Amino acid sequence: MRTKNIVAALVLIALGAGYGYLTAGLPTRSLPNTPDPSFFPWIITACLLLLSVILLVQGLAAPRKGSGDSVGAPPLRAPVVFLVAFAAYVAVLPYAGFLLTSVPFFALLMALYGERRWGVIAAASLTVPVVLVLVFRHVFQVPLPKGVLAGILG
Amino acid sequence: MSPDIAAGFVAATLPGSLLATAIGAVLGLVVGMIPGMTISTGIIVVLPLTFVLDPTISIGLLLGIYAGGMTGGSYSAILLNIPGTPSASATILDGYPMAQRGEAGRALSVSIVASFAGGMFSFFCLYFIAPSLANLALRFQAPDLFSVVFFGLTVICTFAARSPVKGLLSAVLGLLIVTIGQDPVMGTARFTFGDADMLSGVHFLTALIGLFAIPQLVDNMVELARGRGERRARTRVGSLLLGWADLKAMRAPVAIGAAIGAFLGILPGVGGPIAAFIGYDYSKRWSRDPGRFGKGCVEGIAAPEAANNAVTGGALIPMMTLGIPGDPVTAILIGALLVHGLAPGPLLFMQRGDFAYALIFSFMWANVLTLVISLAGVKVLVKLLAAPKTLLMPAIAILCVVGSYALRNSFFDVWVMLGFGLIGIAMRHLDMPVVPLLLALVLGEQLEEHLRVALTASSGDPTVFFTSPFSALFLVLSVVSVVWAFAAERRGGRLGSAPSA
Repeated sequence: MRTKNIVAALVLIALGAGYGYLTAGLPTRSLPNTPDPSFFPWIITACLLLLSVILLVQGLAAPRKGSGDSVGAPPLRAPVVFLVAFAAYVAVLPYAGFLLTSVPFFALLMALYGERRWGVIAAASLTVPVVLVLVFRHVFQVPLPKGVLAGILG
Repeated sequence: MSPDIAAGFVAATLPGSLLATAIGAVLGLVVGMIPGMTISTGIIVVLPLTFVLDPTISIGLLLGIYAGGMTGGSYSAILLNIPGTPSASATILDGYPMAQRGEAGRALSVSIVASFAGGMFSFFCLYFIAPSLANLALRFQAPDLFSVVFFGLTVICTFAARSPVKGLLSAVLGLLIVTIGQDPVMGTARFTFGDADMLSGVHFLTALIGLFAIPQLVDNMVELARGRGERRARTRVGSLLLGWADLKAMRAPVAIGAAIGAFLGILPGVGGPIAAFIGYDYSKRWSRDPGRFGKGCVEGIAAPEAANNAVTGGALIPMMTLGIPGDPVTAILIGALLVHGLAPGPLLFMQRGDFAYALIFSFMWANVLTLVISLAGVKVLVKLLAAPKTLLMPAIAILCVVGSYALRNSFFDVWVMLGFGLIGIAMRHLDMPVVPLLLALVLGEQLEEHLRVALTASSGDPTVFFTSPFSALFLVLSVVSVVWAFAAERRGGRLGSAPSA
């Protein structure tokens, strides 16, 4: 946890500095005796920097072999694939539409969560998105993006 | 009886409202009992559905999930030795030993009845305290309102994290995000980089979906990869009948747990897990035979279950009267109400008293229906403990996207949700609680608005925050909570548990 805290503190200090820089560029006040739009962001900048420095000091002062550092690293492959697939899904969704993208995404997620029966994957990944589209369209009146299937789905 | 009370009771008791509350209770029991699913996630999943429903029906559904989830958490605690929700952690201590002795049914009945008693006690607290507190809060001026919100935020920062610095940093990050968009006093665009989508700021429900659901999806994937995700449930429940001796033994721990839970629920940030452990601890201390605790006794289940369910009504009190959420679930409820144009706070009782009482009576029905459904359906419901996560988790992932998109029909919100998911994962990795960030997102705009209005009214004189007795009191309490948290960290005696319902 020691290293993590130091890295987090440094990232947050950089964030605070960047935020402070942007705050300095905000418009100044236009009404007398009224705090600027930058008033609250300045307080946030100060708090962020102060707390980040405390975290940095705590990190540097902590013993090198913290109990948190000894925890085994979690398996990373599946979560990384999940997040990349999620981002790709969201990126393609506006163009290809909900149905066309959700079916393969659902199937991939089922496989990532350990489902190995391909029949179950096929059935579920077809059924769930179709049901969602129908429920949202007809029950909740929220049309989900149709994408390239707009002509077919109407 | 005031017309608002009568109208609220009728609205909450209409067949549509009762049906929604019952459906919510079933969903709550299911999400509560499945380890790896939290009540917050359950609510997030149904949230998009509530946007198109009548507000009373929506709130009935959500409160059903809240009350049902608190009760459902004990099912897996008793049957699997895994708490379904963090609030059921203390129930394991005596629930699982009872199940091992073949008394799972009796343990479940004790849990269900104690949960009901705790929930109903907190309903009465809500019914009697909330209107009076709202009346008092109506007298608050801008400095008082600032200090109340500030107090709510600092208390949750100090309770929610093992490290108060990380709790406070989490809240400051939330406040930073709130400043994106138009400023609440003058409407000046801030940190928008000229982007039209950024002008309306980050919708906190979108952030909430990302912060809670995405890290949970990843966590479940990691657990499954480690082979710890699926456990076979002991679905043989046995007799649910409670004897007179059981009911008699439950009286004192239920009373202790309910009182502690309702009181701690009112304090923002304490949450069910802490209340359950404190309720358990006090019941043990005041018991004539404390040696039985931990070996599978009725009292050891009754106290924490009454406490964690009593937290729910307690947490609704500051939410309804001051607009300050006591835990993540009440934060989501605020968001759901705002979508319907209903702002929780003292004005709610004045402007929409009928709805305020409908909410209170929906909460009562949520507890009653949870009791009925639990007792009638426990043997069927526990079979769902074997529900495959291979199906559940992908469905939640898709619903996260649908939910964030349906809020404003915007893909920008979906990206924001995913971005907050990454932030949530990073924060979990750093042992930084997300609850303060979430509450800062809910309260940040009010905090800035009250601060600037107070300073404008006093021509920039900051002593205005100390000359009002209410404001001074809450500021002193804020300082005390922060100092206490730092002192406790130095002593190594932190309660250290985020109120993750």
